[in-house]
Amino acid sequence: MQKWLKSSTVVTALVATIVGAVISLVVTRTTSQGQTQAESSRSTETPDGHPNFNGVWQALNEAHWDLEAHEPRPGMVMQEGVYPYEFAKVPAAPVMALGAAAGVPGSIGVVGGDGLIPYKPESLLVKQENGANWIDRDPELKCYLPGIPRAMYMPYPFQIVQGNDKIQMTFGFSNAARVIHLNDVTGPPDYTFMGHSVGRWEGDTLVVDVDYFNGKTWFDRAGNFHSESLKLTERFSPLSSDAIWYEVTITDSETFTRPWTIAMPLYRRLEPSATVIDYPCIEFSEEFMYGHLRREQLVKRWEGETIIVDITRKVPSGDLLHDWYRR
Amino acid sequence: MVLLQFNVVSIEGQAPSTTIWSHPDLGGIWLDVYDTPYERAPDVGDREFATDEERSARDQSRMINPGRNKREGHQGRDVAGAYNAVYTSAKPAGPRTSLVIDPSDGRIPELTPEAKRQNEIQSEWRLMLLQNTETCEKNGPGCRGGKYGPPSPRRFDVVPFYNTSRMNRHTGPEDQSLGDRCMLGVTPDFRGHRRIVQGEDSIAIGYDTGQGQGYQRVVYLSGSHPPAQVRLRHGDSRGRWEGDTLVIETTNFSPKFPFRGSGANRKLVERYTRVDADTLEYEITIEDPTVWTAPWTIRQEMKRQADEQNRIYYEPRCHEGNYGLPALLIGARMDDEAFEKGSGPDPFSLDTATCIGGLAEE
Repeated sequence: MQKWLKSSTVVTALVATIVGAVISLVVTRTTSQGQTQAESSRSTETPDGHPNFNGVWQALNEAHWDLEAHEPRPGMVMQEGVYPYEFAKVPAAPVMALGAAAGVPGSIGVVGGDGLIPYKPESLLVKQENGANWIDRDPELKCYLPGIPRAMYMPYPFQIVQGNDKIQMTFGFSNAARVIHLNDVTGPPDYTFMGHSVGRWEGDTLVVDVDYFNGKTWFDRAGNFHSESLKLTERFSPLSSDAIWYEVTITDSETFTRPWTIAMPLYRRLEPSATVIDYPCIEFSEEFMYGHLRREQLVKRWEGETIIVDITRKVPSGDLLHDWYRR
Repeated sequence: MVLLQFNVVSIEGQAPSTTIWSHPDLGGIWLDVYDTPYERAPDVGDREFATDEERSARDQSRMINPGRNKREGHQGRDVAGAYNAVYTSAKPAGPRTSLVIDPSDGRIPELTPEAKRQNEIQSEWRLMLLQNTETCEKNGPGCRGGKYGPPSPRRFDVVPFYNTSRMNRHTGPEDQSLGDRCMLGVTPDFRGHRRIVQGEDSIAIGYDTGQGQGYQRVVYLSGSHPPAQVRLRHGDSRGRWEGDTLVIETTNFSPKFPFRGSGANRKLVERYTRVDADTLEYEITIEDPTVWTAPWTIRQEMKRQADEQNRIYYEPRCHEGNYGLPALLIGARMDDEAFEKGSGPDPFSLDTATCIGGLAEE
């Protein structure tokens, strides 16, 4: 596993260096055309000699769907189609009206070693149930605090503010944040969603130990989960001034048979005036969470404890179908 | 390099004067440790600071806290008022007679005619929903300006404004207050703890306020506000250094999260100056020509809180534990059902909005 990570890091580092070189050329060219002062004057190192991670960052991968390797799927939520095979499922009602915009892209995965998360047998069953009941169970859909590491690779940008003895990360999703303490402080009085992060520099790598988790967060939309015993060691290593190699060792002896790792690059958002726009999803999730408690519900019916939401979708009738192709 | 290292050296008992980025160091956890009213009592005039006698009188009156141990003789109202001294712990009275320092009388400027009209519309709506309750029948302070009568035929209408406060109707989450919905934290905040972390081109401010309803701001030291159609709960903040003072301008506010009636047209200019190791002077000018007839300014002296004790709740998780909101809506639906079956009173005859304020003696 270590070997895989090392060789993979080196290859990615090489690729990123080349990409970085190309990007810096582009930036230099744009600068002469009027880049803002801050963009062109960003230093690659802090004055006290550490990598400068200040800026807006975002993962660019499919880890938020599933940390493990997975094939593309036609729908975020699926039902059995014409054939009884797992691979022949079709989109189900919650996303059917959204067509090709509501599928799941495939991925080679971000889990090290054999690419599989080493669940204990009983935990694997929970994971599979989580996946099968995704829309009922995933805390992301309720806009709950995403936890670490999930917040790091959700499809939203986040800000790194690197100060004297604190590094704060502020996430677009749910206005969440984490503070990495580079100095000695008292931990939180209770278990947390976002964990308690204590960091140190090992050469150019920021190493962060995270604990005090409450066990209520997930890793992704596939139902991968953990318990209160979760402990993380994160490593942030600069690949270039605009890319960080992000590695996490995940330890939770209640859920997994051994520690395991994920690894991926994080990319700097290079556009001028890159800004983390807050995604205020508490409000966005109210209909999802409380809509069934309205005095007059919005287009819903019930079968026992199952809520059925009617989907509105316009389909041209008969020979008017060609309108779809003309538009 | 050597010079810079010299600048950031921390002297025993004294904070470093600059960050590693050579900016004045505002980092740490800060709090206004005093309780100061927004507005100055009219008889104090232009006097900015209180006498020792005035401060101790204010402390005395809040320690007695009339009503804290009052029992209503009504189970529902007793439970609604069950916040005891643990929940209502108070900060001591501070040296200032008001948070507002400009205008010089320490009073928030007059509302514009349009803002007054909006307030009247809101007040009329809330009183309309209360008119069949005991609060109005007994002419309680919660019904001031209203009158007792049968349930209004307008009670199920669409609210004629964007509601953010509690009302005596619970048809869905939108009828509840932002606090009930875990969206209470608003910019600006004057009461809570805040942690400032300073980077090279941005500054993070995390607020711990309103019973776990705090929030995060990122202040950019470069770039410009996004296009006007981008409306954000806490606005878009751009900062710059003017000497040793951090000046932050915030615009692009959302109309959904108003501060004292000011929504999308709010413009804030904040000034942060560290005046000594433990004191951060904070001044903010609030402007919204659609709400107030003039800009107004608040000044506070924030005190540094021990970093190693780390007593700030940077994980606001009200929403994650908000069983109160669904429980309230479930209760409202049960009340509806009981009324329909003839086994319960008309929900509009019950005051489920003003809590103990509704009938409390003046």
